[in-house]
Amino acid sequence: MNDQYRNKMHRYGRIFMVLGIFVMFLAPMMIWLITGQAPNWAQMIAGVVALSVIYLPGGLIEMMTYSPLLGTSATYLAFVTGNLINLKVPCVMNATEICKTEINTPENEVISTIAVAFSSITTVVILSIGIIMLIPLTPVLQSEILAPAFSWVISALFGALGYKYFKGNWKMIIAPMIVVILMSIFIPTFVNGQVIIIILIAAIVTLIFSKILFDKEMI
Amino acid sequence: MVLYTLAISDVKEAWWLYAVGAFVTLFIISGSLFFAHHANKRSKELNMSRENIKKAVISSVSFSVLPSIGIFIGVITMSGFLGIALPWIRLSVLGALHYELMAADLAVEGVNAANLTTENFVTIAFTMTIAIVWGSLFTLFFFKKYQSKVIDKATKKEGRSFGPFLFQAVFIGLISAYFGDAFSKIFGYKVREIIDGSYTGNDSIETTMVPLIVFVISFLSMVLFDYLIQKKNMKWLENFQLSFAMLIGMTSAVLLGMRGIF
Repeated sequence: MNDQYRNKMHRYGRIFMVLGIFVMFLAPMMIWLITGQAPNWAQMIAGVVALSVIYLPGGLIEMMTYSPLLGTSATYLAFVTGNLINLKVPCVMNATEICKTEINTPENEVISTIAVAFSSITTVVILSIGIIMLIPLTPVLQSEILAPAFSWVISALFGALGYKYFKGNWKMIIAPMIVVILMSIFIPTFVNGQVIIIILIAAIVTLIFSKILFDKEMI
Repeated sequence: MVLYTLAISDVKEAWWLYAVGAFVTLFIISGSLFFAHHANKRSKELNMSRENIKKAVISSVSFSVLPSIGIFIGVITMSGFLGIALPWIRLSVLGALHYELMAADLAVEGVNAANLTTENFVTIAFTMTIAIVWGSLFTLFFFKKYQSKVIDKATKKEGRSFGPFLFQAVFIGLISAYFGDAFSKIFGYKVREIIDGSYTGNDSIETTMVPLIVFVISFLSMVLFDYLIQKKNMKWLENFQLSFAMLIGMTSAVLLGMRGIF
């Protein structure tokens, strides 16, 4: 029954993904067709190659890292709607923590799908309201007083979320925190400039340290 | 219909580009509702409590509001260079502000709002769309196999198993890395100057304590909310505690800014 549901959602997810990629290409295609102006192929290829050096392995790592946390439907949905690390993944972490569901269970699949679906809807609705109310909203959101709030929204997000995870797993946190603090002192611009790599390093350190604790039956 | 005479300012703010933005928005809402509907049906088959489904909806919506406003500020930031419609479309789908700015910079180096041409604009739009699509393609072709071959095996429960810790490690790695992101800014972070929505090429290294303070205050706010929920039985707070804690953290950044601390 679970496999049947999962296979069905993979089928729907793949259809949604193909449609999503088509929708992503609508804007550049429309600009090309309506203005009659083709892209500068040499510049485009050079740009795509330069970006792909980072985003091709990045895409693979993201799929491998986040899909277990997101589950079937939410993975397809999140890889079309984007903002994985700064919104969808924390949103799922929060919802599954509140609903007390475990990774890769049918219940978790339901909760994570609902979390990503409603998070995606919230984002596009807020963006649309913003576009409609652009003239009155722009000076407010760009005001010098409010600017610091949105400059550091990610720190607020992970500070709040951090408590939920640190509370239940404090023994597992010691090693990655020491590593991250030391790296921050010695190579600060690398730490805040290459967050994806730091996530990987911190996760690997957590894993090794947790295995030692697990083997000693300390967790 | 080919309009060769369109000026770049007309293309950036063309009605048909806004129509694409509206279509993208409708596509995302419809897709999300489609998957949410199937998840809801599944929850009934699994006899899951309605209360939990409601909690998942409310907490996800309330949690997503502030980061979404942050994403909208990204649209405003890019608008000086690329207009409103294209950044709106790009930030509604797979992408992020720093990625889009980097893509624009790499596609048409040295071009700014004053000398942008239609050819630059269409080149930027294609580059932004193509270079980020890898994650989607990997998901499309390899996710199903990866799930059955790796995830299912790792999460299989046979007595005392290390499997669940595997993914817990990713969560902890994620949070530790973002603690590092905030903490390391005390020692230095690179600021790339943006004028009229594009990089100018002027970089500087700055320092700040503010993100670490914001991180710690949000963390401590959660401690307080957790106490209120657990000990004072304020269960209603559960769905909003993360949003409230974020709001308190962000307010502290505003208050520090008002005192000249940025």
